[in-house]
Formats: sequence, structure tokens, C-alpha cells
Amino acid sequence: MLVWMGLLYACTAPTTRSPEGTVRIRWARDPENLDPLIVSNASAYEVANLTHCSLLMGREEAHDFVPWLAESFPTVKHLGDTLLQVTYRIRPEATWDNGTPVLARDVALTLKIMNCTGLPTEMAQAMFGFIRDIRLDSADARRFTLVCAGQSPEHIRSSGDFSVLPEYILDPQGQLRTVSLADMRRQPTLAAAQALARRYQRLQLARHPENLPGCGPYRLSAWQSGRYLTLRRKKSWWADVYPAPPYQLQAYPATLIYQVIPDAATATLALRRGEIDVYGLMPAAEFTRLQQSADDRQRLAFYTADAYEFLTASFNVRQPVLRDAATRRALGFLFDVPALIKATQQGAATPSAGLISPRMKEYYNDSLALPAFRPAQTVAMLRQAGWQRQPTGRWQRTSVQGTPQILRFGVSYRAGEPSFETAALQFRAAAEAIGIEVELRPTEQAVLSRQLQAGETDMCIRNYSGNPFSYDFTALLHSRGIGASNTTQFSSPLTDHLIEQITTTEDTRKKRLLLRKFQRVMAQEMPFMVLYFLKYRVAASRAIGVVPVSGLKPGYEAARISPIKTPL
Amino acid sequence: MLGAVALRHILRTIVAAWLILSVLFLLSRSTADPDSQLRNMVESNSRMGGLLEQPATSQQLLHRYGLYEPLFYATWQPATGWHWHGVQTQYHRWLKQLLHGDLGYSYRLEAPVWDVVKQALRYTLPLTLLAAALSIALALGVATATSYRPSARRWFIRVAHILQSFPLFLLALGLLLLLANPDALSWFPAFGLGPADQESTGWSRPGLLLYQLTLPIISLVLGSFPALAIQLDGALRHEFNRPYIATARAKGSSPAGIVWRHALRNAVLPTVTLLTELLPSIVAGSVVVEVVFALPGMGRLLADAALNQDFPVLLGGVGLVAMVRLGAQLLADVLYPILDPRIRPEV
Repeated sequence: MLVWMGLLYACTAPTTRSPEGTVRIRWARDPENLDPLIVSNASAYEVANLTHCSLLMGREEAHDFVPWLAESFPTVKHLGDTLLQVTYRIRPEATWDNGTPVLARDVALTLKIMNCTGLPTEMAQAMFGFIRDIRLDSADARRFTLVCAGQSPEHIRSSGDFSVLPEYILDPQGQLRTVSLADMRRQPTLAAAQALARRYQRLQLARHPENLPGCGPYRLSAWQSGRYLTLRRKKSWWADVYPAPPYQLQAYPATLIYQVIPDAATATLALRRGEIDVYGLMPAAEFTRLQQSADDRQRLAFYTADAYEFLTASFNVRQPVLRDAATRRALGFLFDVPALIKATQQGAATPSAGLISPRMKEYYNDSLALPAFRPAQTVAMLRQAGWQRQPTGRWQRTSVQGTPQILRFGVSYRAGEPSFETAALQFRAAAEAIGIEVELRPTEQAVLSRQLQAGETDMCIRNYSGNPFSYDFTALLHSRGIGASNTTQFSSPLTDHLIEQITTTEDTRKKRLLLRKFQRVMAQEMPFMVLYFLKYRVAASRAIGVVPVSGLKPGYEAARISPIKTPL
Repeated sequence: MLGAVALRHILRTIVAAWLILSVLFLLSRSTADPDSQLRNMVESNSRMGGLLEQPATSQQLLHRYGLYEPLFYATWQPATGWHWHGVQTQYHRWLKQLLHGDLGYSYRLEAPVWDVVKQALRYTLPLTLLAAALSIALALGVATATSYRPSARRWFIRVAHILQSFPLFLLALGLLLLLANPDALSWFPAFGLGPADQESTGWSRPGLLLYQLTLPIISLVLGSFPALAIQLDGALRHEFNRPYIATARAKGSSPAGIVWRHALRNAVLPTVTLLTELLPSIVAGSVVVEVVFALPGMGRLLADAALNQDFPVLLGGVGLVAMVRLGAQLLADVLYPILDPRIRPEV
């Protein structure tokens, strides 16, 4: 009966073709929390970038940050050895929804909110705590200077990478204009600060972001958590005055509908049925299957972009058997990367000699050898590292303390991730064939993170994400990162020094030499082995025109999709 | 006297509820290391990934969520013995909140747990209630209709056993690939409540909702009705061998009359237990169906909360399911004497 009723309704059901100017996009995950101070996942970040503007925006093509709300890239002045002054001017065209201009005092208020006690500001403070003060220009309401602790060029870019919030909603009386950023930190009981915290909390931005409209091109029109989120283009956005707006100020679709569909098979069906228009980060097998179908090729367009996310096998260098670089390098020859790429990515991924993407030709060290599958080389190198094959077929050596060591370790990876599992299985098969005992340990994500932080793993298969703007490896590979993100526990005076030099130099030529040297040292030390860089796949309906794709998540630029006028 | 019995039942249920919720709270908090749990949260933040400040941030979060306090009133240390912490404990604070009807705040969503659960129930209840009603009707209809037709009954039992052996995800995906696939029959939407721009208002709303929920409901019905039907069929078989059925036949009752007027009332008693078992599932939803059909119900909420270690939501959801189970048991206690006067308490 249900089927018949459904059929009856299906005959009168509305069409699934998207209305003109509307783009429907699949999300695997709901943004969950749209408080601009929190922004905890990729979906929330996407919404924040469409509804709010930052001073700067990372542009993949430029391999750098470009001015967004700022009129131009900031000017920088060093203050002594420890401080940096970064001076911005906001575009004169930029306005809020009520028509008032975006001014330096809006930026000041945003920074004060980040330091306001009683608000969920922990993560914002961790990211932007290096901004110690803001000085407004008394002669120009749009000009201001940020005083930053530390002189890393990364700070210049990060100093403009937060959503600017409107003062006219959060502090309509301007009570906080006389309170400095330092006072906000030092005096959490300030009456004005407490009033601000109360006003901010009353807005309930986590679930009702529409209460705080930003100066971005879109406004939240509907959100049913876990189902969909709709953004509508403002009828009159301040950047519309530009006859030929730069990339970062382009916003074409009239409506963006994000549909939350967690299951990949369901999302593929929805794309094929025309219920969604764009499917980003599509699994390799589904993408290839659709590409091979003549019908789907007619209706859908397929795009790929070289991503900055890579698959690695990382070693815990504090484990006795993995302590020496020679053993780690020997084990690296047990991965058959081309076979792995074929099995997990349908052949579409890029092998790399190091942790910088080969597409970054300027910085990639192309003189290093790509990973090769040579078990015979592993045997020879293990012997050089002092391991001896026993009559039982296993490997053993005597440690510095005189105790026997057996080459036996575990490979941990997040359970349920096919590419990790395939890499681990392939490695174990190759290792077992030459007598190395390997135990596979598929582990639940939260447990694995705890084990990695506690240094309880031996070897781990996992993904890392990079980007084309920043080459700061401090958290990942510096001795200061141990206990945070440096889960390999690797560090050496040489690499620490190199990392510090890379992060402080502004000279491109010097940076290039340092990065190439750093990659060479890492290939020697091998705390982790890069197996391949991923490609992001996007399948989209031809009816919406060309989809600009990106190597950064979510793999497409929704605002720059220019839906063609007449649907196919 | 009857009032005293009812009061005893209710008091017993309240004490059981308190015990269950307390054990759930203490187990969930004691097995998870709050520090590493928050570190995971910070690490998984798309923008915090590569920051050195992660440990300090997780310490701040630990304070905001009140996880720095001792868990229970007293703790045992092998070196110093029992240590009394007073009332400044996580358990005391949670119990006080609970008595005020506050289930706490979700770490992930920054929203009151009760609001989050209510939102999820809005999607789960229509789906599971409809599916449960259809399963019961189908089981009752098929089991009674085939009970006096031996060959039809044999076929029905075979089909029911085959259906029961299929995992739910296979049933759901099978239906999706069969009835929402442009390569097969493209009759229904590929995901739960259809595209966002297909919302409707007024009289067409229930029709659209039914149309959109058809596949999830059929998946749940195919997954749950065989067990009910097989159980009912077995009970009917048992009743058919009883002397009172022979008497009814001898008096000339029709086969349908024998089933509906005589056998069913006795046969339904063991099925009541199964039906009350259905109630917690109605609230808990079905993770598989909700994920496959993209419905943001209780199943998905609880699975996501478990995955992200959002313990307040997990505790709220699991606690609610446990309470419904207790309620269902109370309901079964009430229904048994009504259906079978032999087990009524003597007053």
C-alpha cells in the first residue's frame, strides 16, 4: 500500500531539477556548530567563508594569502626582536547589511570577543593569541595596526585569517571602544566585557548564525541540522560595485543548498537522479564507475584537483626497534606505492619523495628518489643496521644495552578506512615474506589519537593535510611539537634549526634551498614515509556549468560556480 | 491494596532509573580520559590541527566543561586509602542538573542536550512509529491469514526466515538500488526527506512526507516484522493443539472465527513481550536506516556522539532509551493481567 501511495505521489511530485541560479551540493557532515568563534569542521568553515569575510584569504593559485576585506596585502614593520606590526586598511566599498561601512573598530571588537571571558574562545585564543594589541588610526577609520608577538611571516598571514564581526550588533553602544585588548585579557570582570559576553550568548550563534549576519556575499536562509542548509545571495552585496571582481570577491549562485547525505552510495544515486548538483571528495571507485558510464558522462562533468593531503606511514622513533633511521629506511622499501595507488585510488594519486607536494615545483626536491618496492634492498639494509636473520627466519640484533631485540612491531590505523587498511595489509604481506613480524592494529579513531599522543604506537598509517601557503613544520616535526602534533616523537638539532629558519625567512630563494635541504634530511631520517598525495574528485551536473575545483577541502569553490542561464 | 501495588511498581521503576543513569554516567566518565578526549576534539578541529597550543587549549576546555573536578564523592587511592571530596564532584553537579530536568550541554554542538535529542526525535518517531504499526499489522494479518492455510503458511514461514537472515543495511541498500535508481526503477527519492527545495506546506505535506519516508519505512518493516510474525505463528500453532480449539471446531466455528475469537487472545501473550521490546527501538531509531537514507534521527545522533566522544549527548540518548525500556516493562506488567485474567494479582 505504501508503495502504491508513494507511486501515486511520485506522479505529482515536484521536479528534482534545480531552479535557475541554484546549486545543490552534497555534504557528508553537518556543520554542527556555526558560532564564528568555534568553526570546528570543514562544512562550518565553508559556511563561515560564505557568510563572513576575513581580512585575507588563502588562494591556491597564488600559493599565498590575498587581500579579501583588506584593501591590499598588509605592510609589516619589525619592532625589536620579538614584535611585529602588521598594518591593514579595509576596502572602502565594504559595508555591513545595514549599509554602515566595515571599519577598523569592527576588527578591534572581533579581537576583543576572542579574548572575552565567558565565551567559547579557547580555540580562537590558541589560533590568534599572538595578536597582542590593535591600534586604530585616528585619521583613517579603516586603517589599523596589529601588534603581534613573534616575527614569523606565518603570523602576517594568520593575522588576517579570522571572520570580522559587526560592532553594530554586538556592541551597539560602543562600550568596548575604550577598553584595550590587553585589558580584556587582564580584567575578565570588566562590566562592559561581561555585558558583551551576555549579548553574544543571547544570540545563540551555534544554532542561529542568522542572528549575526556577516559582510560575506551570502546570508543563511534555512538550516535543519543534519538535513540541509540554505544560503541566499544578498541582493546587493558591497563587492557588486566591482565591474570585474577578483576571484576572492566573486559570488555567482543566487542560492546554495547544502544537502547532508552521509552515505556515499546514497549521495551517488542522488547525483545521478539530479537531486544534487555537486558531489565533492567523491570516493575513487564511485568516480571511476560513473566516468565509465556513457549515460552519466552525458549528464555529469568530472573534475580532479591535486590535493595537499597525503597518505603516510609514520614511525614512532622512540620504539627501540624503530629508533635507528637505517631500519626505518629499510622498511620504506616494503611499500609498493604504484600498486597501492591503483588499488585504493584507481590509479589517480601522485607519489612523492617527501612531504611537499610535487605540484609545488618551486619547493619540491625532485632530486630525491620516489618510493620504490625493493624487498631485497630491505634485507640488505637491515643487515647493515645490525639485524641478523635467525634460523627461524625472524630478524634479531643486540641492543646497546646488550639485550636481544626482535624485529617485531605493530601497524596501527583508523579502523574502517579502506586505503589505510590496504596499505597496512600490503606492508604486512611484504614484511612477512622476508621474516619481519608485523601485527595489524585497526583502532577506533579516539583510541588511536590517544595512543599516538601517548607514544604507544609503533608504526601508523594515516593522512596528513598540508596547504600551499604555509611551510611551518613546527607542530609536526619540531621538538616543541612533541606532546602536541609531533606523534612520531622525532626531533634533532639539525631539523629543529632548519624548521626555525624556514618559518622565519621571507626570502623565497633561501626558503627554497632550506625546504629542499629539509626534505633531503627527512628522507635520510625518515620519521615518516609519504606514500602518495591524493587527488580530490568532484562530479557535478553539466546543467550548472563549470565547477572551479581546488586542491583544498572541500575540493570546489561554491561561490565561483556560475550557473548557466538555461538548464540543459 | 491495588494502589499500594501500583506505588511499589512506580517506586521500583524510579529507583531502577536512578541506578541505571548513575551507572551510565559513572561508567562513561571513568572509562574515558577527559584530557585525551578533549585533545582529540581539539586535534580534529579543521583549523587547530597543526598548532602547538593544543595541550593548553584542551586544559582550558577541561575547565569549561567541568571535567577537572573529581568524578565521585569518594575515591580510593592504594597509598592513602579512601578520600572524601565533598559535593564538589562531577556526579553531584550532574545529579543536581538532572533533578532540574537539565541533561547538560553537548560538547560538539554547544547546545542543550535535551534540545538536540528533541530535534532528533522529531525525525525518528514518525519513522519508527509508522514502521512499528505496520510491522504489527502485517505480522498479525499474515500470521492469522495463513494459520489455517498450511501451504500458504509454509511459504510465508520460509520467506520470513529468509528476510530475517538479511542484515538491515542490505535490505535498505537493496531497496534504494531497486526503487530509487535511474538504472532500475526511479520511483522514490534517494535520500530520506528529499531535497531541501522540495519542502511542501498545507494538505500536500503528509502525502509528501509519506512518499519520502516510504523506503526507510519499508526497510524497517522488512527488518522487524518477520520476528513478530514467526513468534505469533508459533504461539498460534501451540494454541491450535489445545482442547478448547477442538471444542470450538466441534461446535462448528469457522477457521477465521477460531483464530480471531479463541486462539489469538491466548497466542498474543508472548508477543506482548516482543512488542514492549519494540518501544526502546522506536526511541533509539535505527543507525543503519538513518545513515543510508540521510535522516538526522536518534540513531545517527547517538552514533555520531559515540564517534566524537560527546558524552553528554550519549548519556542523554542512552539514558532516554533506558527509561523507555523501564516504561515498556511497566507497560508489560500492566498489560499481562488485562490480557490474561489468570495472572491478575489477588486483591
